[in-house]
Amino acid sequence: MAAPRYCPSCLSLAFTPSTLFRAASRRPAPLPLPTPQNQQPFQLRAASTNALKYRRKDPAAASRRKKARSTYLAPDLKNIVQFSLVDAMRYLRASEVGRPPTSSKYELHVRLRTAKNGAVVRNRLRLPHPVKTDLRICVIAPADSPHGLAATAAGAAIVGEEEVFQAIRDETMKFDRCLCHTDSLPALAKANLGRVLGPKGLMPSVKTNTVVKDVAAAVREMAGASEYRERMGVVRMAIGQLGFTAEEVRRNIRAFVENIKRDMQGISDQTAKEMHEVVLSSTNGPGLSLNGMFGSADGELGDWSAGKA
Amino acid sequence: MVSLPHRMRKLQTRLLAIRLGSGAYILPKDINRIHMRFAPRIEGGHMGPRKFWHHELVRLKYHNPAISMTTDRTARAEDPAVLSVHFTSPTPTQSPDETTSGPAFADSTPAAAQPTERVSTIDMKHRTNAEILDELVRMTKAQAVEATEAEREELRSLEEQRVKGAKDSAKSLEVRARVAREKQLLEQARGELAADAV
Repeated sequence: MAAPRYCPSCLSLAFTPSTLFRAASRRPAPLPLPTPQNQQPFQLRAASTNALKYRRKDPAAASRRKKARSTYLAPDLKNIVQFSLVDAMRYLRASEVGRPPTSSKYELHVRLRTAKNGAVVRNRLRLPHPVKTDLRICVIAPADSPHGLAATAAGAAIVGEEEVFQAIRDETMKFDRCLCHTDSLPALAKANLGRVLGPKGLMPSVKTNTVVKDVAAAVREMAGASEYRERMGVVRMAIGQLGFTAEEVRRNIRAFVENIKRDMQGISDQTAKEMHEVVLSSTNGPGLSLNGMFGSADGELGDWSAGKA
Repeated sequence: MVSLPHRMRKLQTRLLAIRLGSGAYILPKDINRIHMRFAPRIEGGHMGPRKFWHHELVRLKYHNPAISMTTDRTARAEDPAVLSVHFTSPTPTQSPDETTSGPAFADSTPAAAQPTERVSTIDMKHRTNAEILDELVRMTKAQAVEATEAEREELRSLEEQRVKGAKDSAKSLEVRARVAREKQLLEQARGELAADAV
């Protein structure tokens, strides 16, 4: 296929390939590639009056980059379909039918109206009804000391010193988080467990607030807290398990949204942030925009919302 | 970010598929629980139960949210695949249970609220989900859910939009391919000219 003719000064096509074929059959011989000397005559010869009339006046405009948006898109919500909490949960429970009630989670997506390059919302929160409760926490403190006993009472999976060190070295112990009491820190440093715990991110250290004086409170706080952060203008977090009742989910949503509002107020002097939309979804279900109402739109459905899977 | 109209169209399609379709039945009030037990893999005739779980059971759950519907996928391939329906005498619903249900909700024990009087079973092995549904409807005398006029209208308009969208997509793909080809040739020619000018 012959290369299409182009004007070297403005680099726009004088012919489209389809017209070129038709023109080629009529033309006796192909024109040579234009050299800088015979640019002007070539233009006048090859371009028809029509093409001259519609020639692009400002060729640089086509290649000039579009200015990037500085805020995340927040579409107008007047045509959106929204649901009350109970209606949304009905669809989500149907989508999750038959799955174990602790494995499927409800998740909340809070869409913010915010600039792209500003501060982000990032915090931890203790939900009224925690979602993930089976966190195994290991505490390094003498098992029979008051701290050790308080830690076991607070729900730590493993408490101890020497035996714990040995078990970690032997890799017999499995846990998700590790805390250390300030008094046991020298023993921990001597035990040289950085090789084992360091790569897993479990080594207690002062910087990550895992070396504490009050272990019981730290265990409680760690077991219940969920972390959230804003990514691309949306804050997402798991807000409940499938087995939760509508009331529990509502309390969790309320706590979460209040917390986000407080965080946004805290950074409002640097970046303006507003809540734009709240969407409830689940592991296998669709995302349903919430309208802030709790009860069902079309009347009572009995006590189904009381938590039967 | 997907545009809002596009998102709403997809959502409405999905929600209508949950509300209507095969399996959209309202079960009588004397059913307490539906439990399915089948194998995690389809070998041995367990494809019908699995499809039933994904399609029909979803719609049944939407229209009968008070009935507890559970699955147990720990059977071996050679074990029977059984759907059991637990009946009870229809009693007026109890006062709503506001106390927390707790996160650990056992899914294989029957609900303690209403005593189960009888259990009927359906053998699901080597049967399609349509057959399983037919037998369930026969056994329970369930009432089908008909689409309302508004829902039919919505289904029609969504289908039209989908067809139109596919046609438009094909056309614009053609145009975009042509423009990309021209641009590519232009770049080539520009490269040739640069080589000549040097």
